[in-house]
Amino acid sequence: MTDQVSASESAVNNIQVDTGDDWQRLSPIAIVYFTIRNILTTFQGLIYVIPALAVTFNVFDNLNSPEAYIGISAIILLTAGSGIVSFIMYKFRVHNQHVEIHSGVFQRRYTNLPLWRIQNVKIELPFYYRPFGYALVVLDTAGSGKEEAKIVAVPLAYAHALRKRVLIEKAQQNESVTANALTSPDGDKTLITGEQDEEKEEILNTRSVGDIIIHGITNNRVWIILGAAAPFYDDVFGFVSEWLAEKGLQLNQLVDEQAIAWWQFSLYAFVVLMMVMAALALLSVGGALFTFYGYTLSRADDRYIRRSGLLNKLEVSMRASRIQMITAKQDWLDKILKRVNLYFEQNTTASQQVQELMSPNKLIVPSVTENEAIELSQEVMPGCNLHAQTYQTISKRFILHWLSVAWTVPFLLAITVGVVSEHMDVVVLAFSIFSGVALLLTLRWWRWGIAFDRRYIYVRRGRVGVDYLCFEPYKVQQVMVKQSVFMKRRKLATLKVVLASGAVTVPFLPESYVYRLADSILIEVESTRRSWM
Amino acid sequence: MVSEQPMTPQDTLFSNQQIMHSELPQLAQLQLEPISTKYRIINLSIASMVTLVLIAIASFLRFNPFFELPEDLIYAYPFIVGVIGTLGGLWFVYHVFADTKIKYAIREQDISKQAGLIFRGISCQPILRVQHVDVKRGPIDRWAGLAKLQVFSAGGEMHTFEIPGLPLENAEKIRQFILDHKDVSAR
Repeated sequence: MTDQVSASESAVNNIQVDTGDDWQRLSPIAIVYFTIRNILTTFQGLIYVIPALAVTFNVFDNLNSPEAYIGISAIILLTAGSGIVSFIMYKFRVHNQHVEIHSGVFQRRYTNLPLWRIQNVKIELPFYYRPFGYALVVLDTAGSGKEEAKIVAVPLAYAHALRKRVLIEKAQQNESVTANALTSPDGDKTLITGEQDEEKEEILNTRSVGDIIIHGITNNRVWIILGAAAPFYDDVFGFVSEWLAEKGLQLNQLVDEQAIAWWQFSLYAFVVLMMVMAALALLSVGGALFTFYGYTLSRADDRYIRRSGLLNKLEVSMRASRIQMITAKQDWLDKILKRVNLYFEQNTTASQQVQELMSPNKLIVPSVTENEAIELSQEVMPGCNLHAQTYQTISKRFILHWLSVAWTVPFLLAITVGVVSEHMDVVVLAFSIFSGVALLLTLRWWRWGIAFDRRYIYVRRGRVGVDYLCFEPYKVQQVMVKQSVFMKRRKLATLKVVLASGAVTVPFLPESYVYRLADSILIEVESTRRSWM
Repeated sequence: MVSEQPMTPQDTLFSNQQIMHSELPQLAQLQLEPISTKYRIINLSIASMVTLVLIAIASFLRFNPFFELPEDLIYAYPFIVGVIGTLGGLWFVYHVFADTKIKYAIREQDISKQAGLIFRGISCQPILRVQHVDVKRGPIDRWAGLAKLQVFSAGGEMHTFEIPGLPLENAEKIRQFILDHKDVSAR
């Protein structure tokens, strides 16, 4: 990995980023990209129509008719043709520190991006680009996904050179800004001088296949596969039931026949459930491998770079100063296996749903060991210590509040219904649900806490699993203190801190503590005047 | 643990006094100003108008001379009016009490708003973090000479800081104050 990186880095230095006055065409491989994209968008539009069509025309019976052939070939020709047209209609240039792109067939679009406004440069390598050494460059501005610009197919070395150029441009912009500011944190200075000479990448973490398999088991990554396989569901179910029938297992018979004892039936059910679970876990492992294969997290100056992917290699880079919060998530299974999912969260002003794992706003380090999690979090936020804090816990009234506000009325209703209609099972069910909820609330109360060690604010939360959050108070955007009439009487309050990566809430803390913390945060923000970006 | 007096290198340069109070600025001791009383009057009139109009429509349909309603609907009429009346009444009562609770305060470095009837919250927006400011006015606001101040930060649209029912002049002044603030205008 390092060899590759340094080789590409040396090539990077010899490449001219500025393409001059003339407009540039993409490499012809882009036709493949455009074709695939057009097919996907067409299908996304048609996905609701397909079932209707299938029902009305009974597609499979007519599949051999000449009309079907004509229709299918027309669709293929059209999409392939549209790929070529999209390719012809696309041109770009990097000129005068601006990236300019003309694109679109019917809806022409002109994008003009000043290099210094680009927030993130993502380099993607779809699998059909990889043998030819091309890359897809995604330029992200100010968070809004609509303003995203894509340079669809350029040589990989050019992509790296462009990214380097953008970062230098940004650093210079920062330099002029920080020169005016009251203080400049010394980290920024070194980056500006260091960046022009050589970029050394230091690999911080790699994930082996074993780690990724653990990640697949502990985290539900099923959807990665399920999403891709959606069109084939029907066939798969058909196949599975045929296969079962061949083995002499008829589901319908099982249910119908009285002959089978209940324990036999439940044994069957259990076995089937286990098989389904195992299949899901396998799928999940597959999904995890698909996205995280060959995972490396490295640092080049003040940037963190994540590379991973089995077929489509994906590269996401994030500036260290942009990280708003570290989240260390540990589900119950993670706890048993002593693994942690670590997230570095950036601003999430892009409110639309970006696939969490691909998102440039959240940099995930999947299933690291507990020690690695501590090391990595200290790498990003020096001196932070997630576990060694004495957390200010929240009041027990939290449990009482949620039980009484949200659950007592439905509970009493269910009890009344059960007693009146003499259905004792309803009563039992109500009791068990109520006690289950109470248990979860108690766990939640037990976990939830906050701590402040003059540099960082820590939040611990969770029910069965535990999440640790850590952020620097000077990056806070807004502070809220909330109190109901009853909480005021008990001198309790809820603190909500808004960061660019989202809001963090800790309820039912002592009022005086909340106000002191809120005041401290405000002073930290307003007196240090450090940039949150 | 929260320190009583967090020391920062910039303490000497930092100033955010609410002229009359103790050394460190405290949220709990803000002197809050109420918003315009017109805001409540407008909300109360809107609540009553909407309720009355809905009841009027229902009554018109019930008693109109042009066509006959189905039996079921005629039977349901008093209940429909009752429900509309109750909801409208609750809406009205809410504004009677809640609107007077909306208060705001401006310090050198931040703006704060307190609001809420049962759940009362005070939110504080440091001006340093403001990305842009809007003064919004709907038709009724314009007629009444009021405006709504919206302050956007990088916290996202969910957390837009908003003070409704300000006299236009005040809203413009606050907007200008924020824009003139050295941290915002520097960018």
